[in-house]
Order: sequence, then structure tokens, then C-alpha cells
Amino acid sequence: MGSTVTKRQFAAALPWITPAHGLLLTVIVIPAVYVIWLSVTNSTFGRAPSFVGLVNYVKVLNDTYFWRALGNTIFIVALVVHLELLLGLGMALLFASGLPFRGLLLAAVLAPYAVSEVSAAVIWRYLFDPDVGPVSVAMKAIGLPILEWSIEPSHGLALISLLSIWLHLPFTFLILYAARLSIPRELYEAALIDRATPLQMFRKVTLPLLVPALVVAALFRYIFVFRMFSEVWLMTQGGPARQTEVLAVYLYLEAFRFNAFGEAAATGWIMLAISLVLGAGYLFALRKDMTSDAR
Amino acid sequence: MTIFKMTRRSALGMGVGAAALATGMGRARAQAKTLNILAHRVHQVSLTQGPAGDLTKPWRDANATEVNWATFDSNPLQDRLFREASLSSTDFGVGFLVNSRATRDAAKLMAPLDDLQRANPIEDFADIAPGLVEAMRFDGKLVSVPFRHATIGLFYNEALLEERGIKAPPQSLEELVDQAKRLTFTSAAGTPVTGMVLASDLSVFPVTFARAFGGDFISGDLKLVPDRGALEKGLATMQDLFKAGALPRTFATTTNDDQVTWIQQGRAAFTVLPFARFAQLNNPQQSKFPGKIKAIEFPISEALRGKVPFASVVEFWAMSILGNARDKELAWNFIRTMSSKAVTTGAARNGNGPVRVSTYKDPGFAADQPLAAVESKALAGARVPLPAFPEAARAQTIFLEEVQLAVLGRKSAGEAVGAIIERVKPLLPA
Repeated sequence: MGSTVTKRQFAAALPWITPAHGLLLTVIVIPAVYVIWLSVTNSTFGRAPSFVGLVNYVKVLNDTYFWRALGNTIFIVALVVHLELLLGLGMALLFASGLPFRGLLLAAVLAPYAVSEVSAAVIWRYLFDPDVGPVSVAMKAIGLPILEWSIEPSHGLALISLLSIWLHLPFTFLILYAARLSIPRELYEAALIDRATPLQMFRKVTLPLLVPALVVAALFRYIFVFRMFSEVWLMTQGGPARQTEVLAVYLYLEAFRFNAFGEAAATGWIMLAISLVLGAGYLFALRKDMTSDAR
Repeated sequence: MTIFKMTRRSALGMGVGAAALATGMGRARAQAKTLNILAHRVHQVSLTQGPAGDLTKPWRDANATEVNWATFDSNPLQDRLFREASLSSTDFGVGFLVNSRATRDAAKLMAPLDDLQRANPIEDFADIAPGLVEAMRFDGKLVSVPFRHATIGLFYNEALLEERGIKAPPQSLEELVDQAKRLTFTSAAGTPVTGMVLASDLSVFPVTFARAFGGDFISGDLKLVPDRGALEKGLATMQDLFKAGALPRTFATTTNDDQVTWIQQGRAAFTVLPFARFAQLNNPQQSKFPGKIKAIEFPISEALRGKVPFASVVEFWAMSILGNARDKELAWNFIRTMSSKAVTTGAARNGNGPVRVSTYKDPGFAADQPLAAVESKALAGARVPLPAFPEAARAQTIFLEEVQLAVLGRKSAGEAVGAIIERVKPLLPA
């Protein structure tokens, strides 16, 4: 069947698609164009913007703070997304295998998603306070070293990652759990008749059928973690000495502390380009999967 | 069941009634003006709550105007103020401007106040601290009227000092360091006490330590690190405190709010905060030590004691009219009234740092306020932590980064000061 849309069909559809496209135009396209313009100007409060070409992009790419923030962002993205996928997958399989008090346990697993990021950061700052935090006290009591998150940048990044995983694991878990429940039971029964071991069933049945859900979860989390701001700002403000800064914090400082709107806008576009590169593989896999389904 | 029938008479009556209602509403609307204000919560509280009560009420009644406060934390407040003032017009009339953000570019966004002051002057304008007024004048134009100063002092927990057998607060910086180290202990109540708590995201604290040795970060005439040795000594002192455990392990992520909590809970013995925090720190509903948190002027180094006056750090807020405000007369009327002697004294009773010299001389006020005398003395020689210039925020961020590296022991004080000079120099106006 051909898919050519006639002029009449297009005219009939126009009133229905216009609101959505109008919305996209006003909240995404126009602001994006404005930010492109801003990124090629020297702009701050009280001064008329002046065109400077690509100077802001060059400035940002020559800034050591930008590269440090990019490194920290990539570290956090890699740690958070992959650990979260592993944990989410493990938990989804555990729940699907049948657990006593499943309703209660589900509520417990989903609870962190209902906690605001501000409250979570306050709680975690207290839990891991090096002097009086219950977790630090317990770790000292059993002879383990504590997380010096306010002194050691690597500890700070690790704690920020753990907080992010704790907050967002329910999202990944829900996607994977729903996907796992949608796998027909008959496939496992057939595998059992073929005398497949549990590991073989996981590798040959569960995993291939979970791949689309894994890709979706990974893509969403890549995008969200790449632009992470609140966890870092609330835990460390990018400190000590700007060493746990991520790209969103770098952009925030340029825009709202230094009022350098040109550099901030350029940073925003560079962030978009990098996240597209990082997500390209997943987008490609997703597209391939969607088009193969359509055939 | 009654069925309403529309007759010509009832239709006429309803029409007349509706017209009368509309006229009444129109009048009511004309009377109920609104003045929107961009402020910090502390400004709203000091004008509306506390022992002196709501100081805006007489003005609101006299002008048939409602005051609508939009409050933000300091940095977001300045950002919102500048963004509102950059629009073609705004619903906001008055905005609070902090001294460190009052640059020539920012001043262009605010309405010049000289004509308004000439036409309808503020009562005894010369009584408002002239140094603060001058800082709000750009190219000869006044753009903001000082409202609140926050002059910092050294707060200490008298109960903890007594517990460690310390009879009096320190008289010199060296004594302060010694006492802070002695006060790093576990109290009888089982609370681990840190000698001193300081926030790491404000330049106020390292600048205070530098000034205790006669130094500075950037002087009023924009001289960068006028005395290198003094700044090095200041940073080395903070490094020593951290090394001895007399500053929190979380120093690099400690905020202003943490300072308040730590002192109120008895987790720290000393801190550096504006004198205006006195009431909050001793609030029985929040503090475990109400009435035991006292304050003195920050002590100067022994070598300079009695020879050079200590220049306390002061920050201040001022009231501006946004350049694009619709009703500038109304906004000025508000500023003028809130700057009067009576309101300044009332706001001071509510916890504001008064900008009028006469407030401290008011015997009634001085008798009520235990810190009036010491605050007045500190204010007399106080200076802002760094002057306002276009790249001041970036300069401050670099300064704080190097201070943190020094305090945590990643750099020596000398290396940190060298880096500060090298990195901040290009940011200063030519």
C-alpha cells in the first residue's frame, strides 16, 4: 500500500497536527534558535549583545574547567547508567522469579523515586557526614575507610553516582520488570522441555527479548545523567575546588554566576553535540529495531 | 418548585445591578494597587515580622497598596533582578541589589534616583552611612539606597568555652587558633565539637583571616593582594586549623546554612557570621544553646593589636527601582518610607543591620540590643570583601578555589597566593 499523502488529506490533517507542532516550535525550536544566536554573541546583563562569531566555542573548548567537567560527566554517566542497568536487570529477574511479599517489596524498591532530589541530598549528606554520619560511623566501627567525599574528588564523584543510582533505579527497574513480565511463559516452557539450564534460558530467551527495553532504559538514562545538575550541586556544589564539577554545573556557573551568556549558550550546544555522539549507537539500534518491527 | 421568569423589569434590574457591581469592582481595583518587590526573605522578614511588627502596614494603608514579595536566595535574586530589568517592561517596582553585584553595567538597568530624591527626599539622607551610599553611585548617579548591612563578627558558644575551662573569648587571632584547637573535643553531652566552622563558598572568611594580618584579597582601589605575606599568613592559619581538625572535614562543601546549624547544635564552638544572626543563633526554638551564643569583633593578630584598626568585612543590600518599572513614583515612595529613621530602627529591632548611624545612638535601641555597641564599632572600620567590577564573580570563584586547595593541604599557602595573583590579574579592569 502506498504511503503518499494527498493535498486534501494533508489539509484535513493540518488542524490536528498544528497544535503539537506549534507547541514544539514555541518551546523547542524558537528557544534553540535564540540560544544559537546567543552563542555567537558577547552578551551579559546591562550590555547590548555583540556578534563575535565562534569565539565563545573556542573559549569554552580551551577552558580546562570544561574538559575536567566533561571527564567527570563521562565518568558519572558510565558508572551510573551501567551499574543501574545491571542492578535494575537483576532486580527485575528476581521479582519475576517470584518473591514473597512482592507488593511490599515493590513499594520499598519504588520509594526512592518519590523522594525529591533536595531531600535525598540532605539525607545523604547527613548519612555520609565524616564525623557524625551513621554510615561513616558504622564503616569506622567495622574498620573500613570512610568516604571523604568533601576532600577527595574521586570519593565525591562516587557518592554523587551512588545517590543518582539510588534515586533513579526504580525507573530502570520498572522498564525492565515490565518487559520481563511481557515475555510469554510458553517460551520458558519450551526451553524447559529442551532441557535448557537457567543460564541458557537467560542467554537465549530472556536477554534477547529484553534488549529493546534495555536500549530504551539506557538511552533515557544516558540523556538524563549527561545533563545531571541537582545531585552534584546539592551534594558538593562541584567542590572541592571545582573538582567534581559536571557539564551542567559548568554551564550554570557561566550563565548564572558569571553572567557570560555567550559562553553558556556555546556550552549548551557543545553538550547537545556530545550527547548525540554518545547516544548515536543506541539511537541507531532503536531505529533499526523499530523499522524491523514495522516490516 | 419555583421557576424564574425573566421579565423586562427583572432584566433591567439585573442590568443596573451588574453595571453597579462592575463600577464598584473597577473602583476597588483602582484602590488596590500592588507593588511587586524582588527581595531576599531576610528583607521581607525584617520589614514585616519581629518585635517591631509589620513596618510596611502604615505605608500600605496610606497608599492603598498591597506589597507582593517575591523572595529568592542571594544569587538567584540578583539573576532575576537583572533579567526583569532587561525586559521591555516589568511588573516589579523595587528590587534589592547587593554591593558585590552593583557594577556599572548592572547600574545601567536601574532607574537613577537623584531626581526622585530631589523632588521627594528621604529623611536625613546624610545619616545613611556615606560609604555605602557612595558605593551605589555610578557616573554621578545614585541607583540604589542602602537598606541592610551585614557586618561580620566572631560568634562563640560560651557554654562550650566554659566546659573547656576557657574564661574569656580570644583577644587575638593567635588566641583564637589556640582556643579553637582546644575546643575540638567530644563534649560532655557526647557531641563531637569542631573548634570552628566556616563556609567555603564565600570570600568573606579567607578575607577576614587575611585582614587579621593587615592584608586583603582586592582592596577598594582594585589593588590585587596588596600585602602578599598577610594573605599567605591568613591561608596558612586556616590550613593549620584544618590540619588540627579544628575546621570540619566537610570544609570544602560547608555552606552558610551549615554554619548556623552547627553553632545552634553545639557541633562547633566558633564561627564567623553577620552580627544580625545573633537572634537566630539564640532562638530557643532552633538552638540548643539559647542565650549562650555570644559575639565579639573578629580578633586581629597579636603583632597588629592596638596598632592598626581591624577592618571587618561588611556586605550590604540596597533598594533599587528597576529601570523599566511602570510606576516609579510608587516604588520611590516605598523606598523613601522604608529608609526613614523610624522604619530603620524598627527593622533593626526585627533583626536588620541598620544603615543609619543614628540608629546605634538611639538609647532605646542600644539598651535592647546586646550587640549594638560592638556592631557599631565594627561597622565604623568595615570594608566590603571585594569591590564590584564586571569579572568580580569569576575572580571570587578563582580565589575560593585556591583557598580550598590551600586549606585542604593540596597546595602551600604561598603557591595558592601565587596562583591567585596570576589568575585574577587578567580579570581586573585595565
